[in-house]
Amino acid sequence: MKREAWERDVPVFDVPIWTRPFMALCGLGALGMLLVVYREIVGLGPASGMNDAYAWGIWKTFNTMVLTGLGSGGFAVGIAAWLFKRNNLHVVMRTALLTSLLAYLFGLAMLGVDVGRPWNFYWIAFPWHWNLHSPLLEVAVCMSVYATIPLLLENVPAGLEYAFEQWPRYQAPLKKVEKFLMAGYPWIISLAYVLPAMHQSSLGALMLLGGTRVSPLWQTPFLPLLYVWAAAFLGFACVSLTLLFAGLMWNRPFDIDVLNELNRLTVGLIWTWIVFRVIDLAVRGQIVAAFRADIYAVLFWAEMMLLLSAVMVLRGAINLENPRLMFLGQSLVAVGGMLYRFSPTTLAFQPRANAFYFPSAIESLISLGFIAIAVAIFIFLAKILAILPAPMRLWNAMETIKARKATAQKIPVRVGRGQFATGD
Amino acid sequence: MELNRRDLLKKITTGTAAVAAGGAVSATALGGIVHAEEPAKAPAGAVGLLYDATRCIGCQSCVVACTKANGLEPDNRRDPLHQAPTDLNSRTKTIIKLYKPAKAGESFSYVKQQCMHCVDPACVAACMFGGLKKDAKSGIVTWTGKYCVGCRYCEIACPYHVPKFRWEGFNPEIVKCELCKERLAKGQEPACTSVCPRKAVIFGPRQQLLDEAKSRIAANPGKYYQDRVFGETEGGGTQVLYLAHVDFEELGLPALGEESVPQKYLKWQHRLYSYLIVPIGLYATLVGTISKNWKHHQEHAEIEEKNTGLRPQI
Repeated sequence: MKREAWERDVPVFDVPIWTRPFMALCGLGALGMLLVVYREIVGLGPASGMNDAYAWGIWKTFNTMVLTGLGSGGFAVGIAAWLFKRNNLHVVMRTALLTSLLAYLFGLAMLGVDVGRPWNFYWIAFPWHWNLHSPLLEVAVCMSVYATIPLLLENVPAGLEYAFEQWPRYQAPLKKVEKFLMAGYPWIISLAYVLPAMHQSSLGALMLLGGTRVSPLWQTPFLPLLYVWAAAFLGFACVSLTLLFAGLMWNRPFDIDVLNELNRLTVGLIWTWIVFRVIDLAVRGQIVAAFRADIYAVLFWAEMMLLLSAVMVLRGAINLENPRLMFLGQSLVAVGGMLYRFSPTTLAFQPRANAFYFPSAIESLISLGFIAIAVAIFIFLAKILAILPAPMRLWNAMETIKARKATAQKIPVRVGRGQFATGD
Repeated sequence: MELNRRDLLKKITTGTAAVAAGGAVSATALGGIVHAEEPAKAPAGAVGLLYDATRCIGCQSCVVACTKANGLEPDNRRDPLHQAPTDLNSRTKTIIKLYKPAKAGESFSYVKQQCMHCVDPACVAACMFGGLKKDAKSGIVTWTGKYCVGCRYCEIACPYHVPKFRWEGFNPEIVKCELCKERLAKGQEPACTSVCPRKAVIFGPRQQLLDEAKSRIAANPGKYYQDRVFGETEGGGTQVLYLAHVDFEELGLPALGEESVPQKYLKWQHRLYSYLIVPIGLYATLVGTISKNWKHHQEHAEIEEKNTGLRPQI
């Protein structure tokens, strides 16, 4: 099978921005924001299903703890590309970085809605007020620094490229900015790998203080390691699924080589993770807990089976080079990994007998609203910035349309904004 | 491309030097706090309570007195005529519960719950900016609103389920027993001990209470469960001590072992972040290796740009 020439990120051109699904996402987001206002007025109790036993609900345990795991693509793919020289992955870095940035920014915003006294968060600017014993402080500091400095800077080149084309007059100063950024780039990306390694593991450390209230199938001194490992394969799954989904939605060809590289790395990571988890259970003498007739054993096997079947499906997908199977396999990875990251905080967390938590409608809609806005922003940016990879012929096709449009209107070329829809 | 060992080492050294400069400042400033391997000891002036379940008649005078002294609204949500909380909550800093044995014939017991004022409190370890703090002199664990973000990690961390959150309104608070510190400052004893008709709960310096508890055990062999004072060593020790004639676990006092919760569960976290040596070392190594790969990548991109005329994409 002959491969096309890739090595290029191309905006999704020739499609309108205001499509119906996009408007639906914006609507969901707007509803979520309105409900946030309601939550701020009435307080957490009336707006959510949280209570003194389950003091943490889905805003923290799903939107922040699970979705930043899914948003670890910039971390996981970045390490593969820059540290382990998987050079064919550079072309999907922008996809990974944008999904990461959005997952983190909205995870942090969700934290702001979740905490009861957010106005006191300014103490984070005063390191002598930090309690360094607190895993949550480590997460809060590391996550904020990561999202607002290295991760944001990593996303700047795509924006610079857009500005460069958009405003030819400023090309000289833009080049200077780019040169400055590139000079420090190895320092920036190295920081972008150390910080997530720290806070993704500390997310696991959070539940260490939960002690025996977290089921022994999850509670282990190695919870931080298992968490950061799961973040790595979740990051790969998220990038793969984004690529596959974008390909389906906008009818763009798939780069099977890159997808298979991602699949292979995912499979390797999951295998080591499963082996490590089983060894840890055996050493702690908790294997029997997996065979008790209780909900925790069921949950444990659900996680293991999802990830094991994901490995099987992905291996088939790699051999058959079949995007459909890849989609199925990576979806199983995502669901299995997310379930693992969700369990210790919620499903396998039993604060006391008869304690109960189920997210309220308002709580769920706010959670959904934040996700909808993040997805909407991704879709919007994929249409104006060069984020998603495509074969060279798509780049050439875009250039042709641009040139035709420029001669027809005799005005400077504008990239994106859906104007190519009328280009022909 | 083969990795050149010498170059790599050089890169690592330069990287380390630069990072170490910045890191050293913060590490010396912060490292001291992180580095805490010794088990915590109760301060010399530690005060607390001794609750003897065999003396308690379940009259709940302490519950009412506590609500009054702390200016709380009596929790009559279950029964409009009486103050009848089901558990500690944002209106209830102490509560008397009844333990009924599963088997007939075994003895029942009351139990009083409030903050245990742990020697090494998990809530304080969890708290981000010191909203919950252990007083260096009295050992009382107190809450200060201006440092509290309302994250409720204390509720996750406390092994005794003590800190409670006020779920209503835009300005919520963490509510827990602070051993009536305002009354103590005025030379009074805590509200709960001041009203107890049977002296089932008494106030005093921790050591004195411990001696008293032990002398009661010595005077009544076999009366108390395992001849043990709960809180002497449990979970690293607490400043509120318990005597009972039934299993402590049945009364909601968990078997925690001798190590405190933070010591037991965060030991490796502390070692990993001690003086930030591991993160800084990791960063220096990454900068060294990635700089090399980066240089190679840029050279490649330049050649590509010359050949195709397209600007490289990062």
